[in-house]
Amino acid sequence: MPQMGASVAEGTILEWRKQLGDWVESDETIAEVSTDKIDTEIPSPAAGRLVEILVDVGVTVDIGVTLARIATDARPGEPHDAERDPAPPVEPVAQPAAPPRDPAPPVTQPASPSDTPVDAGARRGAIRRYSPVVQRIAAEHDVDLAAIEGTGREGRVRKQDVIAFVEARGLADPVGSEADEAPLHTESPYRPEPPGSADGQYKPPEGRPLSRMRQTIGAHMHRSLQTAATCTTWIEVDVSPIELARREKGMTALPLIARCVISALVEFPQLNAWLEDDVHTVHEQVNLGIAVALSDDDGLIVPVVRGAQDLSAEGLSRCIRDLASRARARALSADDIHGATFTLTNPGQFGSIMATPVISQPQVAILDVEAITKRPVVVTDAFGQDAIAIRPMVILGLSWDHRALDGALAARFLANIKRRVESYES
Amino acid sequence: MTAGRNTSTLTYLQAISDGLRTEMRDDERVLLMGEDIGVFGGAFKVTDGFIEEFGVDRVMDTPLAESGIIGTAVGAAVVGMRPVCEMQFADFVSCGFDQIINVAGKMLYRQGLPVNITVRLPSGGGFSGGPCHSQSPEAWFMHSPGIKVVAPSTAEDAKGMMIASIRDPNPVVYMEHKHLYRRVKGEVPEGSYETPFAARVAREGAELVVMTYGAMVHTALEATEDLDTPSGHGRASIMVLDLRTLKPLDEQAILSAVRACSKVVIVDEANQTCAAGAQVAALIAEHAFEDLDGPVVRVASPDVPIPYSPPLEQAVLPSVDRVREACRQLLEY
Repeated sequence: MPQMGASVAEGTILEWRKQLGDWVESDETIAEVSTDKIDTEIPSPAAGRLVEILVDVGVTVDIGVTLARIATDARPGEPHDAERDPAPPVEPVAQPAAPPRDPAPPVTQPASPSDTPVDAGARRGAIRRYSPVVQRIAAEHDVDLAAIEGTGREGRVRKQDVIAFVEARGLADPVGSEADEAPLHTESPYRPEPPGSADGQYKPPEGRPLSRMRQTIGAHMHRSLQTAATCTTWIEVDVSPIELARREKGMTALPLIARCVISALVEFPQLNAWLEDDVHTVHEQVNLGIAVALSDDDGLIVPVVRGAQDLSAEGLSRCIRDLASRARARALSADDIHGATFTLTNPGQFGSIMATPVISQPQVAILDVEAITKRPVVVTDAFGQDAIAIRPMVILGLSWDHRALDGALAARFLANIKRRVESYES
Repeated sequence: MTAGRNTSTLTYLQAISDGLRTEMRDDERVLLMGEDIGVFGGAFKVTDGFIEEFGVDRVMDTPLAESGIIGTAVGAAVVGMRPVCEMQFADFVSCGFDQIINVAGKMLYRQGLPVNITVRLPSGGGFSGGPCHSQSPEAWFMHSPGIKVVAPSTAEDAKGMMIASIRDPNPVVYMEHKHLYRRVKGEVPEGSYETPFAARVAREGAELVVMTYGAMVHTALEATEDLDTPSGHGRASIMVLDLRTLKPLDEQAILSAVRACSKVVIVDEANQTCAAGAQVAALIAEHAFEDLDGPVVRVASPDVPIPYSPPLEQAVLPSVDRVREACRQLLEY
């Protein structure tokens, strides 16, 4: 299992692209694996013949474990091991030779007329309808009703017919028995419900193991909460200038706000940092992680915009769009998701207004951008007069690690973002 | 409940009398009221000899005023008595309707006072009684809350349900079918016993169930005892379910029977619209849909008065032939 990134510790085989005995070129894809970060393809390290597969599909192994063996001394075109000593061709069972003038394959024809009651029904020109009890018994016993000859009026399949069919088939379960039926519901006010009947109790559906991605996210988030001294600080921001700019530029608000956040990070590099044990690494380069929710609620992934301090809002927008679409297509490379120095999460599209995000270790802070909502706010005009105005407002929530910084710095950082947003000029 | 008791052969009518007498001997709160029930012994002689045994204070001849009879009984029940009112014919209960529906049926709800009365309704036709002496008005009372309605079909049940009705703290309308009075006989346990307000399987079966009550139980048994299976190999296996209690309906027994048989014929002697069987059919449609292997079939009297003319009356009331034909059609479905 090759190393696919600093923090990847293990991988799961999704599919073997090559089978035993197949010839593999160097760097040709040999298998697909899933890690807690990405799904990716494994290139073959050498040319040769795949002679042994050591890890089956669905099995998770640590980095460095041997997945398969390739015989590099083999030559393309040589017969496979299994082909070296071919078994003698199986003698065909004696069968009457098909008449040469009738090449139609006999398997497509019914064995006997009794096997084709559908035809019989079709001859009568009747649509086959089944009563509720017949359909229920058929569903319970996996019976194809078209295969049953009915004895009711005009060939209708009666309850007795389907029961006889099931019993004749050898699945003589007690059809229609009362033992395994749930107790009847009764609306009569005169009779109490059967007391404490076990059958009447709620039966939860069968549980399934969490997906790999969910397990990974869970473990990561849990570890973060156990590691960091997480605090959350909120600030309310008037995003009128951003709203104006995004209409002009035809983009979403996120890259514009991200641009303000990146500038603030350059001014407050203590938040653009990692804390690993007692080692505090403050970065000048801003590698901005953007949390992207994957479709169908099956997790999220945080691709990274590298060197974000050098990108304009337009450049950020393009980058974010590209990363998000590749993340949803599961087409990110290991490099796309590593090395974030600060993370931005933006779940406000559904209308939520506040959250307490969990820091992605080893970073020291994460900023949550919630929904932009119109609110009445007090504004002061050029003459110092207060008035109530309707403004698009957003709440920014910063979760920060009290081991690395204090609340005053977090507040100043947020105020810096607020000032940049509220005075944004494109 | 009654196993091991001594029994005696009684008619349906004698069994009702026996039930009344037994409970009156056991419980001095029980008293009878009705028209000509005392000195004359009742129009059908159900209470023959009662006035001699229990006296005029407990066997009261009343004026021809059903509202007065039932209203008086409600008052007596409120102060702790257990009156049994006889309507001379079930048809006449319409004169006492308000006292049953609005007074007896709602007293517990309004005032918290149980009304432990039993109203006996000699019902049904088949003897050229004409339109005002032949009706089956049980559904009138099923529709109104606070009242129980029972309808025994055998002598044993007639006695046991009479005793159970007297003991039940609610107003109970006791449907006694006139046509069964002297036609049905059976072994009746001696002494006191209660028949539960629940349905009874009159005959086991697996291919079709006939659900009915009262006199029609006997019609159904006769109609289905020798029906052939549709395939022609032997007799069809037909269940007859005697509902016995109409309010409350024994839903459990009804739905179990549907599950077992999947084909249902419901027989009412009453006029078809909104009869007891209509409620049974609705219950099945709602709660047993997935157990049905054919349409729910009803046999009932058409929505006309019961004729006096004997041939017309026989044409109106559900007959053995009509029930048999309905079953045959449904079996073949």
